[in-house]
Amino acid sequence: MPPETIRFTLDGRAAAITAEPTEPLAHALREHCGAQGVRVACSRAVCGACTVLVDGLPAASCAMFLWQVEGCAVETVARLKAHPLQEAFARHGAFQCGYCTGGFLMLAKALLAENPSPSRAEIAEYLSSNICRCTGYSVIIEAVEEAAAAMRAPA
Amino acid sequence: MSIGLSLPRADGAEKLSGRATYTADIALPGMLHAKLLRSSHAHARLLRVDAGRARTAPGVHAVLTRDDVPEGLMPVYGYFIKDQPIVATDRVRHVGDIIAAVAAETEAQAVAALALIEVEYEALPVVASIEAALAEDAPELFPQAPIGFVPAYGEGARGALRPAKNICFEFGYRMGDAAVFDRCDHVFEDEFRFSRMWHFHLEPFVSVADARDGRIEIWSSNQNPFPLRKELSRIFRMPENAITVRVPYVGGGFGSKNNCKTEPAAVLLSMLAGRPVRLALTLAEGFLTNTQHAAILRLRTGVMSDGRLVARQSHIELDAGAYSDASPLVAEKAGYRIPGPYAWEHVESLCRCVMTNTAPAGPFRGFGGTQATWASESQIDMIARRLGISPLAMRQKNLLKLHQAYMPGESGVDSDMEDGLQTVLAAIHHTPAPDRGLGFAVGFKDGGGVNKPAQARVKVSTNGDVFLGCGTVEIGQGARTAIPQIVAEILGTSATRIRVAPIDTDHTPFDQGTNASSGIAVMGQAVARAATAVRDQVLGFAAAQMGTPPETLRLEDWHIIRGNERLPLGPMIMRYYGGTGFEFTADGFFKPDSDHHAPLEAQCVYWEIGWAAAEVEVDRGTGQFTVTQLVVAGDAGRAINPMLCRGQDEGSAIMGYAQAMFETMRYDAAGELLNGDPLHYRVPLAEDLPARFTTLTLEQGHGPGPFGSKGLGEGAMLPVAAAIANALEDAVGIRITELPLTPERVLRALDNLEKATA
Ligand code: FES
Ligand code: FES
Repeated sequence: MPPETIRFTLDGRAAAITAEPTEPLAHALREHCGAQGVRVACSRAVCGACTVLVDGLPAASCAMFLWQVEGCAVETVARLKAHPLQEAFARHGAFQCGYCTGGFLMLAKALLAENPSPSRAEIAEYLSSNICRCTGYSVIIEAVEEAAAAMRAPA
Repeated sequence: MSIGLSLPRADGAEKLSGRATYTADIALPGMLHAKLLRSSHAHARLLRVDAGRARTAPGVHAVLTRDDVPEGLMPVYGYFIKDQPIVATDRVRHVGDIIAAVAAETEAQAVAALALIEVEYEALPVVASIEAALAEDAPELFPQAPIGFVPAYGEGARGALRPAKNICFEFGYRMGDAAVFDRCDHVFEDEFRFSRMWHFHLEPFVSVADARDGRIEIWSSNQNPFPLRKELSRIFRMPENAITVRVPYVGGGFGSKNNCKTEPAAVLLSMLAGRPVRLALTLAEGFLTNTQHAAILRLRTGVMSDGRLVARQSHIELDAGAYSDASPLVAEKAGYRIPGPYAWEHVESLCRCVMTNTAPAGPFRGFGGTQATWASESQIDMIARRLGISPLAMRQKNLLKLHQAYMPGESGVDSDMEDGLQTVLAAIHHTPAPDRGLGFAVGFKDGGGVNKPAQARVKVSTNGDVFLGCGTVEIGQGARTAIPQIVAEILGTSATRIRVAPIDTDHTPFDQGTNASSGIAVMGQAVARAATAVRDQVLGFAAAQMGTPPETLRLEDWHIIRGNERLPLGPMIMRYYGGTGFEFTADGFFKPDSDHHAPLEAQCVYWEIGWAAAEVEVDRGTGQFTVTQLVVAGDAGRAINPMLCRGQDEGSAIMGYAQAMFETMRYDAAGELLNGDPLHYRVPLAEDLPARFTTLTLEQGHGPGPFGSKGLGEGAMLPVAAAIANALEDAVGIRITELPLTPERVLRALDNLEKATA
């Protein structure tokens, strides 16, 4: 398949990748844009390590084609800067090996955008689209609860 | 003050921003990408491997088959037994066994070239289970004996290579006189089955190797860089100083990233291609690479009517899979730990590693202790109920007391077993109700490895900036956070001033590996000694400068404190050493003493204990049950960083919970793994957590590590499955002796119970 130029925004900046349009998005972001925080584990849309936001919605970038993000806003973990989620993850030790962490942060960001006051059960259900083999999840759920509270609090 | 603080993880900035570097992120100029051709047969002779067309395929720089291994190499590896080839030679022994490898400009080209390799198999009979491999008429999987050795054992212990067909190794331990069985009021014989899990570390196996000009440089996702260097040196017949192993952050391992995995093939391809080579497996290939040990455990236990335990004989068979890997070491541990934390007059254990045509089994969190605890803690409960004694009273009567020797010549246990048990029982809020039950168990293993040496180096610059060289790999456990806390405490500085040097075997002090929950209790001791030696050097230097005895001085924030005086060290150092300053440096070393009276040739460094209590509610109609509460405790001795301790215990407990409830690899009789991919293999998700799930970190204070610490990370996994099985019996009177505890098994057991009582 001949290469094509796919244009989108990556973490708020204009980006263009010239590659086979059927290249997996995760691979394209890592190889052409240096998006190291997009981790690839299962490559099968199961584990969520590669989760990015496409126009604000979480997506497994290992299971998307590059062409699918033409004109879209793509956000990776690199977009987060001193975000309440990052701070809460640090305080609660909500990561260990860190391989799942970028994916969980993006997933949690999408959750809180959709539902700023999720219950514990809602958090657990939403986060169940990603896998963390290290932590046992409780600390991740606690971190998301705390970040939600921090984000709701008037500045 | 650093000890006991839940300092945020030192790797937070890198891991929370996505910038942390793992081996998968390493790219070298001119790097090629490699992929592997794997066997589709579980057991077959390789009649023909023809890679002719692959060699000329687009982008291909090197092809590795049995015909490409240069003369003079030792292309097999393993721990005690060197039986695993880099690429298959005469036969393949499991589905997924490696037949060939290709290095090409891109991964896609490598995959395309693999498809051009022609393989002709002659199918051989398959043995896919312990029973099949031990059958009279089973084929011999290794007609020629591979090279291997038996380590030295101390009193009561022994090992043997190939004691029988399809058994690569057996470990035996014996203490006391079997005649005591004759005095027992009851002798109970029970059989237990243990399932097999895959580690499911999220970062797949990956290595980047540059093997040119008589040197090997390798970056690898590996938890034991120094043993890897030694193994590569042996395979490639190169001096260890021609090999540099670098280990960036590792994305989880849980035991799997030991010894050789992707490394030898990556190195060999790089030699053949004359270019650096990256070999990254898919996650699914991990299922074919290394797994936990399935097991059959038979226990024969003699007791008195009042519940006193007298004697235990055990016979354990581990499914070692196609190659021996770490199976002999796991057998040693399963066989040694099977008596559990109880006082016995006689113990006799035999643990055998049975070769099958399934993926090689190897180290897995718990390391034989999970298998042993499952059987032992189930049977203790069963015996209590048969004798009409409460399971708690039964344990109280027999648990080893603090400091009581585990076996003759062995160290005393360094946790108060009963205290831990009472703690989890107090924390579980159980109110009896129909079909609701409470169960508990004590997980038990020796911790810190056997006879494991560790070295560390601490350097402090003129301004008090600290460098720590230590080979403990940051694999998620928090080594780079907790170990610096030990240094900070000793040097009277802040943990944020300590930089842990990246791991590079040319510079990093020697370490036997990141395994056996040894980071704090073994490496921590080496680090503490290095830090103490540096502190003493600094105080000695200051004392000489000040003309005062060192005992009158203290170090705090890189100032010398004498009485009310507080002198900055920087200027004092530059006055003596000159304006460019100096570095104070010291090494620390730790190894348990060798001791021939100890069964494993050195006393165990510490005992890693996990206590669990579980409450279940059973639906008799469907066999479904829920764990309504799970409380698990570990003993940190002293918690260096409580947040990290909790992380280790929770992650570990949930692995045990998953094994109890649903997680398992399923093989068919033809050796085909039925759920060997991330979609079909079920691991726990956030929504699977028990409704109430608590872990408690005890600090009983008896550990040998710095400040009374011990290790954590495996103990909490051990007791969970048995606690849940015991709770099921408490709830509805059924006993399940096979994992996982599926609703089907519960339903069947309920049916059988009904028939038996009808
Ligand atoms: S790597 Fe994309 S979902 Fe697992
Ligand atoms: S932190 Fe390792 S997988 Fe989540």
